[in-house]
Amino acid sequence: MDIDPSTFVHLAAYTGGGIAMGLGAIGAAIGEGYTAAEANAAVSRNPEISGDIFKNMLVGQAVAESASIFALVVAILLLFLDMSAAVYLKGAALFGAGLCMGLGAIGSGVGSGFPGGQACCGISRQPAVASQLTTNMLIGSAVCQTPAIFSMVVALMLMFMDFGKMPLYPTWAALVGAGLSTGLAAIGSGYGGGAAAGASCEGIARQPRSVGNVTTTMLVGQAVAQTPAIFGLLVSFILMFKAFPESQTLSASMALLSAGLCMGFGGIGPGIGNGMAAEGAVRWVARNTAHAGELMRIMLVGQAVSQSTAIYAMVVSLVLIFVL
Amino acid sequence: MGELGQIHQLVIPFLGHTIRLNLEVILMTWIVFVLLIIFGIATSRRKALLPRPMQVLGELFVKQFYDLTEDALDKEMAKKYGPLVCALFMFLVLSNWLGIIPHLEEPTKDLNTPLSLGLMGFVIAHYAGIKSKGFKAYAKEYFEPMFFMMPLNVIGELAKIVSISFRLFGNIMGGSIIILVVSYLTYSVILPPFLNAFFGLFVGTIQAFVFTMLTVVYISVQIK
Repeated sequence: MDIDPSTFVHLAAYTGGGIAMGLGAIGAAIGEGYTAAEANAAVSRNPEISGDIFKNMLVGQAVAESASIFALVVAILLLFLDMSAAVYLKGAALFGAGLCMGLGAIGSGVGSGFPGGQACCGISRQPAVASQLTTNMLIGSAVCQTPAIFSMVVALMLMFMDFGKMPLYPTWAALVGAGLSTGLAAIGSGYGGGAAAGASCEGIARQPRSVGNVTTTMLVGQAVAQTPAIFGLLVSFILMFKAFPESQTLSASMALLSAGLCMGFGGIGPGIGNGMAAEGAVRWVARNTAHAGELMRIMLVGQAVSQSTAIYAMVVSLVLIFVL
Repeated sequence: MGELGQIHQLVIPFLGHTIRLNLEVILMTWIVFVLLIIFGIATSRRKALLPRPMQVLGELFVKQFYDLTEDALDKEMAKKYGPLVCALFMFLVLSNWLGIIPHLEEPTKDLNTPLSLGLMGFVIAHYAGIKSKGFKAYAKEYFEPMFFMMPLNVIGELAKIVSISFRLFGNIMGGSIIILVVSYLTYSVILPPFLNAFFGLFVGTIQAFVFTMLTVVYISVQIK
């Protein structure tokens, strides 16, 4: 490479910042649009309380926006960071940070739109429980943000940790892989958690007395749906903190990059699938509160089975890191 | 921003190995212990049929968590595991709230705390499983649906420890990093108190509850 380190790092930081905000803008906008669409339906169903619905819509959208705000913070930091004492490796880390935050904001943004929309619908159907619905919506969409928070943690660690003494090859691949792993794996988990939270708002409106059971089932379901994102986070941590011996061969770098890709892509499906399982459980707990325990157990077993593919991905990426 | 990821450690050489103690975490954990003991004394001192406010608070709290445990397990089991569930939640919620006080830090921000609590829950769940089903039936579950799935089933069980502890760690750590970065960007004007309320009080309570519920649920999956 004939570019001097400082130019290279600036290139990487600007590209990373662009990717972070560009991809980060996708999810929250879709989620907020869904909330607004449902709010329209809610107002037309029950125009007398349009003020309450409007307020709830704005609150829901404000929470759904937080994934994009995380992306904005990371993008601004990437653009204005002081990069005077830079090495090539820093460039890889900054690029990875941008990828991680951008990809990681997609799922949470889309997902946290669902509880907002369903809460608006629920308020129009059952105005008496409006405050419970808003509380449940806030809890649900706050938990939805967890995958985006994980991405932000990895992105900020990539930006601020000192990788100065590591060999450029193959650490650059490990750092980009660390970003991809958490970023991609967060997509499915964010979306899945949102699906569960949406179903819980709908369920509470239908059966207000089930609120305790529904919220508990939602939280457990969302927590399990986040597991693929946590596997992604684990792989990212290993890639960031393990010291890799210097090696000029391409295969060593590619193994680390593929480890991140493998865990990242492997986490998308299980996250969405687990979210669907949680959505189903929450929906039916609301309609049949007496058998909440049974439903939760079946949900957990089903989620464990659907999660096995994420575990295969994790095993393969750990083999790529430690064996190859 | 340089303090990101730095911790004060006490390194003790011991029989050829070195023991590393994270001093701040230990200190913060002890603060949480002391606060919890004070809460316990305040709620149970001067018990009466006509309860005083503190006693009402304590009773409401304990009742709530006994009911939750009863829903997930059964009456007999709830008697056994109810105290554990209450204690776990109280410790976690106070740990997560501690960070909103300046100069104090959440003990849960250090991976060691959630990891050891997750390990504790894992051991308790499997002990309960072996005790209620017998070792043979317990071990047989690992060879389902097919015998060669055994290694993956074991990894799946171990992954539960990772997921439960990293979920708490990631959320608390993420919250404190976000507060740090935003305080740095805004020179600590206006925004940080709101972020402290959101990440410290709100997310901290939810994550403590999620951790506690997952521990109960893991026990209930094992015994049935």
